[in-house]
Amino acid sequence: MNDFAHTVLVVGSGAGGAMAAYELTRQGHKVLLLEAGRHYDPTTETPMFRPNGDAPLMGASTPDKDFGFYDSTVGGGWEVPDEPYTTAEGTEFLWWRARMLGGRTNHWGRYALRFSEHDFKAKSRDGLGADWPFEYDEIAPWYDKTEALVGVCGTNTGLDDMPPSSDGVLQPAPTPRIPELLIAAAAKKHGIEAAPMHRAILTRALDQRAPCFWATPCGYGCSIGAAFQTTTSLLPMAQATGHLRVITDAMVKTVTTDAGGQVTGVTYIDKKSGSERQVDAKVVVLAASACETARILLNSKTERHPAGLANSSGQVGRNLMDSTGAGLSALVPALMDRPRYNEDGHTANHLFIPWWGHQAHADKELDFPRGYHFELGGRFAEPGAYVSGDLQGYGTALKQQVRAHYGAYVHFALRGEMLPNDDCYMDIDPSVTDKWGIPVPRFHWKWSEHELKQVEHGLKTAKAILETMGATVGELPAAEEAIKKGGEIIHEVGTTRMGDSPEDSVTNQWGQTWDCPNLFVMDGGVFASNPHKNCTLTIMTLAMRNSAWLADQLKAGAL
Amino acid sequence: MRNPDDQGIAARTDSDAPAYANKLSRRDSLKLLAALAASAMLPALSACGSPSTGDAPDGLADAGHWPELDLQPVTASGYGKDPDLITPPEAPWPLTLTPDQLSLLALLSDIIVPAEGKSPSASAVQVPTVIDEWVSAPYPDQQQDRLTVLSALAWLDDEAALRFSQPFATLATAQQLAIIDDIAYRNDQTPRQFQRMAEAFARLRNLVLAAYFCTPDGMEDIGYMGNVAIAGDYPGPTPEAYRHLETVLADLGLSEFAYPVG
Repeated sequence: MNDFAHTVLVVGSGAGGAMAAYELTRQGHKVLLLEAGRHYDPTTETPMFRPNGDAPLMGASTPDKDFGFYDSTVGGGWEVPDEPYTTAEGTEFLWWRARMLGGRTNHWGRYALRFSEHDFKAKSRDGLGADWPFEYDEIAPWYDKTEALVGVCGTNTGLDDMPPSSDGVLQPAPTPRIPELLIAAAAKKHGIEAAPMHRAILTRALDQRAPCFWATPCGYGCSIGAAFQTTTSLLPMAQATGHLRVITDAMVKTVTTDAGGQVTGVTYIDKKSGSERQVDAKVVVLAASACETARILLNSKTERHPAGLANSSGQVGRNLMDSTGAGLSALVPALMDRPRYNEDGHTANHLFIPWWGHQAHADKELDFPRGYHFELGGRFAEPGAYVSGDLQGYGTALKQQVRAHYGAYVHFALRGEMLPNDDCYMDIDPSVTDKWGIPVPRFHWKWSEHELKQVEHGLKTAKAILETMGATVGELPAAEEAIKKGGEIIHEVGTTRMGDSPEDSVTNQWGQTWDCPNLFVMDGGVFASNPHKNCTLTIMTLAMRNSAWLADQLKAGAL
Repeated sequence: MRNPDDQGIAARTDSDAPAYANKLSRRDSLKLLAALAASAMLPALSACGSPSTGDAPDGLADAGHWPELDLQPVTASGYGKDPDLITPPEAPWPLTLTPDQLSLLALLSDIIVPAEGKSPSASAVQVPTVIDEWVSAPYPDQQQDRLTVLSALAWLDDEAALRFSQPFATLATAQQLAIIDDIAYRNDQTPRQFQRMAEAFARLRNLVLAAYFCTPDGMEDIGYMGNVAIAGDYPGPTPEAYRHLETVLADLGLSEFAYPVG
């Protein structure tokens, strides 16, 4: 350690932490990065081309591998050995953790949609939640830089919910599949446009990364780097500068402060030995994930910081938001027995349905305040452990039923904006600790009418589009039953939100905590709101922008 | 639909039950892949019916019979949070089916998925072994299926004994299918005494189908054409697939709303 005089200590190697490491090392600053999980190398560990039939249980999800055997998440999941968390009585919350180098970027959906001015200033429009402390125009160039660096395929559609990227930034989007084209036509009849999804997938070569070759689910990870994950991009790039040092299996416990209350470094547990270590740094950047970062801050109580570090506002752990989620599937008879072709594509949406309701909201036609989008499913997927269809009988007639149903189901997955509310937050459990004695988060959760009404609207809309396609949908479930659990969409944000005032926010617009100038947050915790567009692209964009600002502060000697 | 002659099942004249045994290795494709490091594959690309009422014996209660099995829980370990994904464990946990259970399962598997054209039968591609692995797994869903599958196997022998005084596997094909016909169709008319078994059979049937279509032969049979590396842009639908879509859009009155392609 002594031979590597780092300036900045970054906690977490996912979207925010790896981007911070990339930008800071690019500008010549030495970065020590701590990751709670193990080292992970996609070039040798990704199960490319492995068929489900070769996996235990045909690759099915199990409590050991929640997203299936081949999912790239190793050592993490909904339940992590030795690392419990709790929920307040009568509430449910699911906390996904990826304990590995690269974090959740190894398996994320890679949907990469820009927030817009409409998203950043929603409170100004309807009085709910919080505005962000900057304008879209200030962020747009950073979105361009991030998209160009990450590699995002998509199209400038001109739709009001999809701000354009600058010319030449986006890579070409793949051609749509048949079920997506049918859904697009049915939606259009209802005045709703489908559009190419923006995804962090290379369709053209970029630096050392190869373009997508349209095989192997992105959730397995990607050994060729086409599907973005920090372990094949930002982390190796940062390593190449010679300014990055990474310590894995390092579980950060607290941020340390001096008698004056200023940040001096962190304490962490070396998981391999179980011993506690202390490491100092001029600047600490927390990017451990929204809830893990808030946990570290709340566990860093001192006399100077009795409510936890950077918590003079009392907002650390508050304003916890996920995306809303609900799904609707149906058999589309017109798609039965359709002509076969290779429908893998880049494994997720080639087309999706962005939010179309800006005008309806302006005209006060809707009984819920914030929008959603639909992700579309249904294709000739690789056969796995479950077979669809209301099947009867046996023998060749049965096989024919299975063949007829193959690729004939479509699925609408709603992902919507949630508003912060007083019932959704995390604090520290008064009695439960993890294996190393670190107190664990306790979650509190309750969806509000805003989200339930939104889901109700989404289900009705999906049903209308499905029926236009000739599907029989049946009675819709109540929104309370249909809505996914808090945390289940894995878009948790808001626990250390940014704002204009130290009274009601934890950081300024640069992710710098109001209370400690040399402490920054660069994960989803800083979100002032949670638009429906999947948080990762914006986490990376803010991490790049705010790391550049931090680098300027260091150069100016301000820190 | 209901005539066994249409089911593609060759009637057996003898009543010898064929034995099925697990092979040592079913993950043969891994041996091929093991020779190829993941990265070694890349440079080339970078460069470039109505129910029957059955013949239920007199005196059988309406609700039918059910073998209330007292199964010991599987206590084996799972494959853990961080298994080797490149070369999955050959035997993640001990297999638990007895030789008799496995042979009966193979017989059922081939009734459900018989050989058809150039597609092999389920037992020929080791479907029973996959199901043995499934019902022997220590996870909650699989333990639930274990009870379902083992109960179904026991029920078939009980039913065969009640109807024909023999184990199911030794019955003539026509007798076997007489029983299967009573449980393979689930609808409002399914007699009460067969409802529970029909539900269990449906679960077993889904497992057999899943395991079958996961095999290379099964993927070919169903028409899965993916998991193939393609250089250049994604080719998208074939002309035939586009023509089919045009017909569908026309039938649904959606032609004018078609999304522009190409």
